[in-house]
Amino acid sequence: MTRALVLAIAAIVAGAPLAAQSRWNVSFGVGGGQEIARSRIGTTRERVSGLVLGGEVVATRGKLVARLRYGQGRVTNDTAGRDVAEGEALLGYKARPWLTVWFGPHARTFVVPGQSDRRWLHWSGRVTARGTLFPGRVESFVELWQGITGSLNRPAESASGGGAEAGLVLRLARHPVWGRLAYRIEQGRASGGTRRETVEAITLTVGFVPLR
Amino acid sequence: MTRALLFVVALSFGVLGAPRAAHAQSAAAVLAQGARAYDDLELDNAAGLLRRALAFQGAAALAPADAARALMYLAATELLREHADSARAVARRLVLADPRFRPDELVFPSQVLTFYEGIRRATPVVIGRAPADTAIRPGTEALAVRLYASTFHDVTATLGTEAGRVVRTLYSGPIGDSLDLHWNGLDSSGTASPPNGRYAITVTSLDRQRRVVRILRLPLEVTQGRVDTLPHPAPPADSLLRPERQSMRPALRAFAPAALAGVAIVVLPGVVANGEDASAARFVVGGTVTIAGIAAFFSHHPGKSIPANVAHNRTLRDAWRRADTEITRRNAERVRGMLGIRAGAPVLLTPEAP
Repeated sequence: MTRALVLAIAAIVAGAPLAAQSRWNVSFGVGGGQEIARSRIGTTRERVSGLVLGGEVVATRGKLVARLRYGQGRVTNDTAGRDVAEGEALLGYKARPWLTVWFGPHARTFVVPGQSDRRWLHWSGRVTARGTLFPGRVESFVELWQGITGSLNRPAESASGGGAEAGLVLRLARHPVWGRLAYRIEQGRASGGTRRETVEAITLTVGFVPLR
Repeated sequence: MTRALLFVVALSFGVLGAPRAAHAQSAAAVLAQGARAYDDLELDNAAGLLRRALAFQGAAALAPADAARALMYLAATELLREHADSARAVARRLVLADPRFRPDELVFPSQVLTFYEGIRRATPVVIGRAPADTAIRPGTEALAVRLYASTFHDVTATLGTEAGRVVRTLYSGPIGDSLDLHWNGLDSSGTASPPNGRYAITVTSLDRQRRVVRILRLPLEVTQGRVDTLPHPAPPADSLLRPERQSMRPALRAFAPAALAGVAIVVLPGVVANGEDASAARFVVGGTVTIAGIAAFFSHHPGKSIPANVAHNRTLRDAWRRADTEITRRNAERVRGMLGIRAGAPVLLTPEAP
């Protein structure tokens, strides 16, 4: 997990030189949120929640967009606890100023002490729509994704899934700072039909985008 | 045989075509030829050409200025041909046609100039110019008729009916070069306008023995209150008016994305994670987005009055109302107590000598 965190930070730092290039626009963000994970294995249900911290880098060049997100934390309940690490690497295209389509992998790993990791991996297609509330200041967004193909490592099964995220992005006038309040919900389903993992999160992210 | 036939045809065209070609010449061209003949002292030829130029009638006739020039050349020609009576008659015709005409001193010799001056002085006549169609307010405004005289002489000017009854004497006295006659629309009592009908301003020129030598009649048609009214101005076009209230559209456009996001937050968990009870915490985010949307909606002040546009529209409407009121007032004035006067073509009469 430490290695993953280092990789995420390295990705953020590695993105910095891109900002210096005139044709790339790179923004960075860090944040955290309350995450609730519900697992259902057969008739067994488990609910855990906790704080997840993470970061993201978004690089834009013309209509092309690349997004890296990584987060990790610990979710617990009265009897159990797990470490969780999640990330995504997406490549997007701005079909319209308000509409972006994405494609890329999205993974989440639950680590239970003394047991093997349980990792969900989805290759997903996404659509993000944005709308302006206050021009240049506040906009809302809705993102939907659907897993095209996916897998669960243990037990080794194929998986499907989908998710949505919606919220509000706030930008400060004449400041390179932005903030985002978002609600996210995702669900992964193993092909056997016995295992299902649903994750909800309310996240608050603060970011930096160089003024051009 | 063929050659003989061609000769006959050519002769026929020559005989028939020649007069037509001569006739096709314009009056102005004939006048120019006459003037050249005069300059070359071909006086007989000049007289013929000038008379031909003056004989054109209707639309082909010489313009008044050219006609005066033709008459002057003809008078000079006849004088130089020692046809004194003819020269006198032509010169008098010129004076009657245009009392203000003065011959060019560079063109005509002093003998001709002196001759014409003598005829002009001996031929007292006036012509008059009046506006073709006008309206006056009787008593305060006046119809102006400008008279031009050939020479200093006495005139009397009266307004009379068609039957010859004098309605009002307008002037009696000498006239030099010109004189303005004014009729204020009232009859001789000075209090009332004459009834509708046909009238005439008659200007009588008198010689030194106070005999009537010329009469100018300027027909007038007088109509009480029949005056064309002015059209009312059109109200300001919608394209000129600005919206007086803020439109709802920008406000709704700002609110819609927030509403959609708020609805998505409430609804999508049921779609994405079917069978799971989503956390009520999502309503915090959904509520925040919706509140932001409501704030965005009201930030556009939908339906709020726009004072600058209201003032702009008020200025336009007030200007239109003022113009409309002014037209209404002027039309009322035009109709009330106005006298419409239409002048006809003046006629010059020369009484027979006793």
